[in-house]
Amino acid sequence: MKALTFTLRAQPEERLDLSALIPDRLDGMSVAEIAKLRIGTSRRPALVGDIFKIRGENRSHIIFDGGSRRFDRVGAGMSGGMLFVAGDAGAQAGRRMSGGMLVIEDNCGPHAGSGMAGGRLEILGNSGDYLAGPLAGEMLGMEGGVLIVRGKAGHYAGDRMRRGVLAILKGCGDYAGSRMIAGSIVVTGRVGAMPGYLMKRGSLLFDRRPETISPTFIDCGRTDIAFSGLFDRYLIDDKILDKPLLGRKPGKYGGDNAVLGKGEILFRMGR
Amino acid sequence: MLIRLTGGEIIDPVNGQSGKRDLWIQDGFIVDKPEGERADKTYDLSGCIVMAGAIDIHSHIGGGNVNTARLLLPEQHAAHLPRPADTPLSNAGWSTFTTGCLYAQMGFTTVVEPAMSPYNALHTHLELADIPIIDKATLTILGNDDFLLSLIRDKTSSDMMDDYVAWTLASTHSLGVKVINAGAAAAFKENVRAFSFDDVVPAYGVSSRKIVKTLQASVNRLGVPHPLHVHANNLGIAGSADTASVTIDATEGVPLHLAHLQFYGYGTEGKRKFSSEAARLAEQVNNNPDVTIDVGQVMFGQTVTISSDITRQFLAIGNANPKKTVIIDGDGNGGGIVPYRYKKNFYGSLQWAVGLELFLLIDDPWRVFFTTDHPNGAPFTSYPELFELLMSRDARDAKTAELNASALELTTLGSLRREYTLDEIAIMTRAAPARLLGLKDRGHLGSGAIADIAVYRRGRDIAGMFREAALVFKNGELVVENGKVVHLRWGKALRLKPTPDKAMVRRMQAYHEERYGLSLDWFTFPDSAIQRDEPFAEVSCSS
Repeated sequence: MKALTFTLRAQPEERLDLSALIPDRLDGMSVAEIAKLRIGTSRRPALVGDIFKIRGENRSHIIFDGGSRRFDRVGAGMSGGMLFVAGDAGAQAGRRMSGGMLVIEDNCGPHAGSGMAGGRLEILGNSGDYLAGPLAGEMLGMEGGVLIVRGKAGHYAGDRMRRGVLAILKGCGDYAGSRMIAGSIVVTGRVGAMPGYLMKRGSLLFDRRPETISPTFIDCGRTDIAFSGLFDRYLIDDKILDKPLLGRKPGKYGGDNAVLGKGEILFRMGR
Repeated sequence: MLIRLTGGEIIDPVNGQSGKRDLWIQDGFIVDKPEGERADKTYDLSGCIVMAGAIDIHSHIGGGNVNTARLLLPEQHAAHLPRPADTPLSNAGWSTFTTGCLYAQMGFTTVVEPAMSPYNALHTHLELADIPIIDKATLTILGNDDFLLSLIRDKTSSDMMDDYVAWTLASTHSLGVKVINAGAAAAFKENVRAFSFDDVVPAYGVSSRKIVKTLQASVNRLGVPHPLHVHANNLGIAGSADTASVTIDATEGVPLHLAHLQFYGYGTEGKRKFSSEAARLAEQVNNNPDVTIDVGQVMFGQTVTISSDITRQFLAIGNANPKKTVIIDGDGNGGGIVPYRYKKNFYGSLQWAVGLELFLLIDDPWRVFFTTDHPNGAPFTSYPELFELLMSRDARDAKTAELNASALELTTLGSLRREYTLDEIAIMTRAAPARLLGLKDRGHLGSGAIADIAVYRRGRDIAGMFREAALVFKNGELVVENGKVVHLRWGKALRLKPTPDKAMVRRMQAYHEERYGLSLDWFTFPDSAIQRDEPFAEVSCSS
């Protein structure tokens, strides 16, 4: 069966809420029914058929042929299947996803992977602020799964993260892993100011020593632990990185002692 | 304009005229049938019941703590999306706008915010002025403030005490006085974490009992229609029934209102040391004509507890759901915001049953009031379901089957077969609140009353009937039709307006200068601060 493909007719004139177009919700729907779904958010909201040409029949493999910064909530709430966006995405891509695989081939906006609990989200370009972070008032950010950004991430990546693996390959903005509760965040490339700000527990794993850090972190020197080798191997096996990240005896900061102080920043030495 | 309501069944226990008759409305008031005049507009209400607009005496709808709760729980706004049709663009869930509309849709026309900190008065009145359709009123909080405790400690004359209470009522534009966990918030500042009726506030040497009795006497002497509104000590704690019991005994012939008694209906029996003492408290209330109570019924689901009882809220931090709280150890009472989800487990089931026991075991509907202590026991939007539980045994039995059986075994609920009649509902939600608050112009459908009228379409679904009023008139204006708001208008805030004693004003000026280094003008405000035409309406004292 061929993948269900949504081909973008023209750039949309309003923000779209694409959370309806996920394998779980399209299962069993005819193309005609899908074309009538409301995805616009303005006073005269657009329907799927207004924006996309629809082809293909495999409801568990969805492709958006062409993207836009106005594609909000792509793959939000998906629990299985595969979804590809050949282009950009807007805010909250993969929000609350709990399974399956979501790939965005270009850049995406803020709150990508917000509150995701499972599955794999891959962003081949850059992501906006609050990557994997909670919306206002929510207590938890990412709660599980794997989120990979092949480009850069904005500020507050991994805010209030609780579980799972978040990997950013070309550096990130300020306050990476802020208010983190647990989980692992990998960053290769330049890290902005104050990583781990108010983190309680969890691990920030860098390929270099962070430049500015809150004074409430303590330098613990070099650590000789099995974890670094084990995790390096996982990152390569899982095709997240192609060479080891931490190496033997990474450097370590402990903190943030402004709060619980059980978190750690591990980083590769000698670079 | 002359309006005639015809064919409806009038439920009006005050005037003793339940049954079919016509109602006439002219210029916002209910009038006798005018001779020789024809109605400009006639509504055929066959198949409907007609009651006065309902009055809620205890619902936290505005003020600093309510606003802090909004700030603490912004995700409630997201839960409100997609936005309901036809609401203003800037509107989110839980706003002043929705408060007024939702109350009106259920046929409520007057609501009392029962806990206004004096220093929050301006904010509270601004917020109330932003609530459309309904009339509002406030009770002002005293009893943990340094000035009052010092007066009691120094054994000041009762005249001075009265002057202070009158000054507070006047300067905060409120309808009555509330005392919240008397003395405990002051003791909290000295690290006291448990405080009962005969405990003494450190540094002042004043007991909780003394504070309550002093305020009760002052309120009574001043002729404030609403008796002192007491939020007793030890709210929500197993064994708190004893505290409520001694508080009820302390009325000593003077009226006293005990708020949300359900939260004090707990004993220490059973495996979990948490049981129902509702039967005992109900009997005590039945035998003491001085006391009136409101229930504070718990219903299931997510809510947020908002209270100026800082001691209680501080102890509840561990139960917060979601896990976030705001505790303000502020001047006077301070306050605490603790979100909470009432579950159908042992504790939730017991609390639910205790509330219903109180409703059903207190015989006199004139002395038991209908509240959920919004939003502490449940949001006010759950009132229709609660009406159904009171009016139908079958609804209670059906609900009981979903709940924790071992909790219900510790209550008398299973043996209670009482069902409220429509007359009793009308007394409890209309006539009695009006009398309790001294509002002679509402709560009934006699000639001369304000035309606050709620019309419900009779149906088998009691909750549905009360959720969507067929018609609601506020001051004679049609505001709700078929459960939808059709007309927005601005109600007034009801207040007493005692003339403050000049010597007391001077003393308060000196006190604020000395204590805060600020002029008293920072704490008081003129009517013109509220940007509405005639934001207030006066209620007279009874002396």
